Amino acid sequence: MISVYRSGTSILHRLPPGLKLIGFIGTSLVIAVTTTHLLEVVAAATFVMTGYAAAGLGARALTSQILAVKWVIVFMLVPQLLFLSALDAVSNTARVVLILVLAALFTMTTRIPDLLDAAERAASPLRRVGIRPESVALLLGLSITSIPVIAGFAATVRDAQRARGISAHRVTFAVPLLIMSLKHADDLADAVNARGIES
Amino acid sequence: MFKQATWDVRDTTRVAAFAALIAVLGLPGALPVFGGAVPITLQTLGVMLAGTILGPWRGAAAVLTLEALVLVGLPLLSGGRGGAGVFVGPTAGYLIGWILGAFVTGAIAFSGSARPTWWRTAAACVTGGILVVYAFGIPIQALVTRLPLAETALTSTVFLPGDLVKAVLATAITLTLWRAYPRAFSRRISPTRSRGAGVTR
Repeated sequence: MISVYRSGTSILHRLPPGLKLIGFIGTSLVIAVTTTHLLEVVAAATFVMTGYAAAGLGARALTSQILAVKWVIVFMLVPQLLFLSALDAVSNTARVVLILVLAALFTMTTRIPDLLDAAERAASPLRRVGIRPESVALLLGLSITSIPVIAGFAATVRDAQRARGISAHRVTFAVPLLIMSLKHADDLADAVNARGIES
Repeated sequence: MFKQATWDVRDTTRVAAFAALIAVLGLPGALPVFGGAVPITLQTLGVMLAGTILGPWRGAAAVLTLEALVLVGLPLLSGGRGGAGVFVGPTAGYLIGWILGAFVTGAIAFSGSARPTWWRTAAACVTGGILVVYAFGIPIQALVTRLPLAETALTSTVFLPGDLVKAVLATAITLTLWRAYPRAFSRRISPTRSRGAGVTR
C-alpha cells in the first residue's frame, strides 16, 4: 500500500493523531465558513503555508499537493466561471484547494498504524452498545489485508475470461468475484474462530 | 429487518471483504468525467451491492469501514484518492450519502420475501444508490463550492446515466448471484430450506 507519510520529527509529527484529526477538522470548518473575500483567502493561505513550514515540508511538497488536486481546480473553476463572477469563482476555488492541501498536510504527518490505534481507542465507548473495540480493530485490519487478496481474485477472473475468449462483461466478471470474495470472508471467519479470537 | 441481529465473526469478515471489494472496484478502468474530480467508477456499484447482498446494517458497515480507511489516509477511492481531504472537499456529501445509501438499498432489498425480486432490487438500487446519494451529495457540493444548488444539480446530471446503468448492473448481478451462490446473502433463508424452519445460517 502506498503511504503518503513523510517522516519527520516536527511538532505536527509528534502531536497525538486523534487530537490532530480533531484539530484538522476544526480548522477546515473555520476556513470553510469564514473565508469568502480575497483577503481572507490570502490569510488562510498564509496559515496553511505556515503549517507546511512547521512540519518541515517545503514549497516542493506544497506544490506537489496542489498539482495532485489539479482536476478539482478545473472541475470547480469551469462551472463557477459560467455561473458566478470571476473573483468569486477564484476565491471559492482557492478556499477548497486550501482545505484539500491542509488535509494533505495532516495525512503526510500522520502514520496510518498510529491512526488505526487511535481509532481503536476512540471506539472504546462503543463497548456500551455492545461493540468491542477489538472487533473494530480486527475489522479495519482484515479489510486492509483483504484488499490485495481480492485484487488478486479480480486478476484471476479477468485472466480466466481472457483465456476463454470472453470479453470482460461486468455481470460475468462481478459474480465470480463476489463469490470468491465472500468465500474468502468465510474462510477468514473459520481461521479467526479456530484461533479462539473473540469478535 | 431493523432488529439488530447478533453479530459474529462471519459478519466481521464479510463486512471487511466487502469494504476491500469496494476498494478494488475503484482500481481498474475508472471513467473520469471532468478529468477525475468526481470520477465515474464501479465503486457506487459496490455500494449498491453491499446493500443488496449484506443487507442494511452490514452493508452500511462495509461502506463505513472503507471510508474509515480512506480517512486515515489509504488511497482507496477511485483514482487513488484518499486521506482526510476527501471528507472536506466537494465530494464529501457523496461519501456520506454512500453510507446511508447502502443502508436504504439493503432495507428495501431485504424487505418482503426472502427471494430477491428484480423490481424490488432495482427499486432499492435506484432509491438507495442514486436518490439518497444525490440527496446528500448535491447540497454539500453546493455548500463547499458555493455554487448555487440549482446549478450544482444541473452539473451533476452528467452522472445520472452512468448511475442508472450501475443500478441495472447491480440488479442483474444480485439476481445472478442469488441463483449461483445463495449463501452469499448471509441473513437470508436459502432457497432449499423452507421459510420458518428457524434456520437462517
